[in-house]
Amino acid sequence: MVVRSLHATNVRYNNPMIRQIIFAIILLITFSVFFYTISRLISYFRLTKPSFPVRDFGKRFGIMMKVAFGQTKIFRKPVIGFLHALVFWGFCVIIFGSIEMVFDGLTGSEKAFRFFGPVHDFIMASGDVFAFLIAVSIIIFMARRFFFHIKRFEGTEMKKKSHLDAAVALMLILLLMLSLAAMNMGYVGNKSATGGDIAGLYPVGKLLAAIFSGLSADNFKVIYEISWWVHILLIFFFANYLPYSKHFHVFMSVPNVFLSRLEPLGKLTNMDNITKEVKLMLDPESTSAAVPVAAAFERFGVKDAEDATWKNYFDSLSCTECGRCTSVCPANITGKKLSPRKIMMDLRARMKEKGPLMVKNGKDYNDNRSLLRDYITEEELWACTTCNACAKECPININQPSLIVDMRRYLVLEEASAPGELKSVFNNIENNGAPWQYSAEDRLNWARDLIVPVMSDVFAKGEKPEYLLWVGCAGAFDDRYKKVIRAFVKILTHLNISFAVLGKEETCTGDPARRAGNEMLYQMQALQVIAKLKAYEIKKVITLCPHCYNTFKNEYPDLDGNYEVINYLQILYKYSIEGKFKINDSSLKDISVTYHDPCYLGRANGIYDHPRFIIEKLTGNYFEMHRNKSFALCCGAGGAQMFKEAEKGEKEIFIERTEDAIKTGATVIATACPFCMTMLTDGLKYKNKEGDIKNLDIAELVAQSLGL
Amino acid sequence: MKILVCISNVPDTTTKIKFSEGDATIDTTGLQWVINPWDELSLTCALELKDDPANGIKSVTVAHVGTVSSEPTIRKALAIGADDAIRINAESSDAYFVAAQLAEAIRKEQFDVILCGIESSDFNNSAVGGMISEFLNIPSVSAVSEIKIEKGILVITREIDGGKEIITAPVPLVAIVQKGIAREPRIAAMRGIMLARTKQIKILEPIDVEPLTQITVLEKPVPRSACKFIDAEDPSKLIDLLCNEAKVI
Amino acid sequence: MSVLVYTENWDGKFKKLSYELVSYATAVAKMINSSVSVLSIGKVDEKELSTLGNYGAQKILSCEKEILSSLDNQLYASVISEIALKINASVIVIANNNTGKAIAPRLSVRLKAGIGSGVSKLPLSTNPFTVYKKAYSGNAFAHVILKSEVKIITLAQNSFDLTETPNIASIEKIDIDINSSAAKTKVQEVLRQTGRILLTDADIVVSGGRGMKSPDNWPPLLELAETLGAATACSRPVSDEGWRPHEEHTGQTGKIIAPNLYIAVGISGATQHLAGVSASKYIVAINIDKDAPIFEVAQYGIIGDAMKVLPKLVTALKNR
Repeated sequence: MVVRSLHATNVRYNNPMIRQIIFAIILLITFSVFFYTISRLISYFRLTKPSFPVRDFGKRFGIMMKVAFGQTKIFRKPVIGFLHALVFWGFCVIIFGSIEMVFDGLTGSEKAFRFFGPVHDFIMASGDVFAFLIAVSIIIFMARRFFFHIKRFEGTEMKKKSHLDAAVALMLILLLMLSLAAMNMGYVGNKSATGGDIAGLYPVGKLLAAIFSGLSADNFKVIYEISWWVHILLIFFFANYLPYSKHFHVFMSVPNVFLSRLEPLGKLTNMDNITKEVKLMLDPESTSAAVPVAAAFERFGVKDAEDATWKNYFDSLSCTECGRCTSVCPANITGKKLSPRKIMMDLRARMKEKGPLMVKNGKDYNDNRSLLRDYITEEELWACTTCNACAKECPININQPSLIVDMRRYLVLEEASAPGELKSVFNNIENNGAPWQYSAEDRLNWARDLIVPVMSDVFAKGEKPEYLLWVGCAGAFDDRYKKVIRAFVKILTHLNISFAVLGKEETCTGDPARRAGNEMLYQMQALQVIAKLKAYEIKKVITLCPHCYNTFKNEYPDLDGNYEVINYLQILYKYSIEGKFKINDSSLKDISVTYHDPCYLGRANGIYDHPRFIIEKLTGNYFEMHRNKSFALCCGAGGAQMFKEAEKGEKEIFIERTEDAIKTGATVIATACPFCMTMLTDGLKYKNKEGDIKNLDIAELVAQSLGL
Repeated sequence: MKILVCISNVPDTTTKIKFSEGDATIDTTGLQWVINPWDELSLTCALELKDDPANGIKSVTVAHVGTVSSEPTIRKALAIGADDAIRINAESSDAYFVAAQLAEAIRKEQFDVILCGIESSDFNNSAVGGMISEFLNIPSVSAVSEIKIEKGILVITREIDGGKEIITAPVPLVAIVQKGIAREPRIAAMRGIMLARTKQIKILEPIDVEPLTQITVLEKPVPRSACKFIDAEDPSKLIDLLCNEAKVI
Repeated sequence: MSVLVYTENWDGKFKKLSYELVSYATAVAKMINSSVSVLSIGKVDEKELSTLGNYGAQKILSCEKEILSSLDNQLYASVISEIALKINASVIVIANNNTGKAIAPRLSVRLKAGIGSGVSKLPLSTNPFTVYKKAYSGNAFAHVILKSEVKIITLAQNSFDLTETPNIASIEKIDIDINSSAAKTKVQEVLRQTGRILLTDADIVVSGGRGMKSPDNWPPLLELAETLGAATACSRPVSDEGWRPHEEHTGQTGKIIAPNLYIAVGISGATQHLAGVSASKYIVAINIDKDAPIFEVAQYGIIGDAMKVLPKLVTALKNR
């Protein structure tokens, strides 16, 4: 009875027309649903703000090949990254087989792409092998998820829904692979048994068919048919499930990488609407009339989903909730509320909530809720150190910090809201040109007995020094860092480099204001500094502080401040290469050194090798911390954290980093940033190691080796 | 309730004051001017009170005695959140003069609470607030570190030696405030600065008042002598110096 | 013509501040050939009142009206000005503390009297009547002429030495007609800190900073304070960490004090802290870091480990 009905079914199925029609209908339904989903998403994209223009296609293509197809960022976690790469590459190959299946389904053919010959063989074979590899990987992933406690899969943002989503996605992929494997086994088994033509190569399928050799040709055929339908239906289902799942990244990841933000990580986007206002504030006499307040209603910064850019939204849809960003976030590691993953998930969720309401009722619709406060709290936003570890870690180049800073911008520029200490910092920068309350008159006190050319004197004599040495506020006012500036000035003098300082005319570059969201104050400072440099016809600037370096190099060009910006390490490196350093000073013989990468030199600007090169010239005993270079843990001072109390957490970031340094056993921690120096020196005090371990700047080490 | 905050314009506190020995005034070239820090506390306090709708604060006005050169400081106060401003067009000469001008301006309007900082960072006098209250013959409370409004009555915390007093007072009242009165400083939002351009500064002409005091000479402070170091191994020498030289023990 | 001193009392007792005022007034009276009267408001017994005579007070007026038991600025100003007019005071001397700051300006308007606020020296001249006070937060000192007939001087605490000019003062209880509804402000509650020497009153203060390393290290510092009869203070990080009570925090955002002697132990001398203590007559710094900025403002310094230095200081003191 059963055999007959099966046979009847076979007959029916063997009727190509019905099969094709059914397939076509299912395909049509699939496309319709997919089209509906995509058009809704597009309507939400229309609500967002513009972002950077998409140009430089060559560069983008290169990044896509490297990061997306090469999986380079995924490999930052080598072992689990390799398994993911297998899954991804497998999908890339299997997609061709899936296209073939659709073609077969519509046209009633079997393995229609067979005419590609050896290429078809290769694709089928790889698909077959990958099906097995992917299935194994997925089982490993599932075991990890369900039986092991993996920290980055947990978090306040990881609700039951996320875990279920993950489980469903993994299950679906596993079933897809099993059905593919079964399909191939069935095909090979049937063709072998009936002596038919095998189109393509199926090594695993062949193996499985051999294992189940007891099955008849008909059995294999049934297995093939059922698996074929299961597989293609799963694909159709999966394709439509993805946009509603965290696994949307299957579609979105490659485009998201192609659409990567190409600017250096340290660079924040200039707010041009603020530039207009600030120029007016600086020159009230200017003929351009003030933009009437009513007309200028465009909101500053990001408060709700519609204030974000299309790229932020694209990022949020592409985010697969893997948690790598959160697992390297110094704030999160030390128990603060901030989780970069949560920021992206919240944007996606909020757009899902408000998008339909705005599409229906108009863009001005107010549901009395907001991304800010109802989803993302101020505490999370103010915990960020802007270290860019999250952006560096994200396998698909999502940029979380730009959204965090944009939300800070809203708080400061619209609501005048910021932690109290930062408001004092803003007032200080505005009133006395430095984040702390010090008089500009004292900006040369560090120079004391040294001969330091001052720009105003030098320029008045008609001279033009080659470099402007930018001392920075820390160099001028931080008692510890003054010694570093002195050391470097002694080196410059020793090397006969022509330079001058602005002295009392120097003011804050505006960097702390910018990181804290006060774009207006930043631009005021920036424009004033740029005007001053223009008056002195400055072309080249040397800085020590990485924050000043980043601001001059990456951000001042947006405001027409264009200079050749050189970090002091690059000067030291250059002169070291040219052999102008007298190495092998005995005072450095016995020290062992470890180096802490400043975030604004390392991740933000890619400078990792120069400092190491210099240190290794000075001493043979160099030890790397386990979290180093682009993996280095922030000292905790960036993002204006230096000037405020830390947000509530379990531990202080600077203590965590000091512990990294102490673990190396080095007797000297070398730093290249005034903030890092303050933090690590404090860290040594807290750990009662000040007697055993010294924190020195690279300039001090070099000066020492030169006997200065 | 309407609040008036009296503000004065002072050099930024980090400025190095420049004058020649014997001058009566300082050199103001290139000085950065700010709202007197204690007055800024008053303004912040007023705005914090206004933030809570339960307090029923209708408006916060700032008043200042000065010439047009102090308008940027007044605009800053408006940008931080004051609703409008009054400027009495006169050079501020002494506390009595300033207080008389402000009292006259207040007499013309009805303000319920007048806030003044307890001190100004230029002449370090603690006078204007108290004087205004006497000119207007209304009560005043000084050394105020907290103001609350409960059912239209002011509940004020005043600092005394070794403690505090909680005082109730009716309006109109002058409250002379000090540190502790405001939770956090305020900044001007971009939005605030844009709005400030449209807020009104009312200019009043001064009344005829003769100042009661006059500064004739400014002297530079005597520089501190360099530190005398005592050997850590023999600190008793320090005790000798403190006893016999400094005579403080 | 007389010099009138107004002094408050603390639970019926006078403090060193009161005697500073009287000493100062006596010296001023000598300059203008005048006598010194002191007005005390509140319940003070005769024995205590008579102590004012030791510093030169000739006439002591005591007003014990119940309605004046707590400070109402308006009321006090009217009472003091009434007395000032009655005794034809040409100079009024008040403390530059919170009470003085509250009353003096109102007196100034009532009597059309110019104020010298926070004066720290005797008048530089009597004709014109010129006083000496700090300006620009200590970056300058000003000579200020008080042009009015009646002059008010608020004296900076601890700026004038006590001078004994013993004499028997006449004590007069005065009664003033005051309407019971005249006090518009009412004190609802008084919160007092008990015990210990008030930081703002202390002549000697011993203060600890983060260089002390741990709250467990305080006993030697406390011993030094006790031996000296000093009050204790601390820097901001110490108070933030909870090592010492909040009330001990001196600095820009804490208490501003001006003792005769300020001993800073393990305090680096950050500007914010110095803002609270720079008016001290003498600053002693004990710090292990020779580059600590505090040595730039201290008159005496010891570079060394506080844990070793403090006990030695205590021993040296005890041996005197």
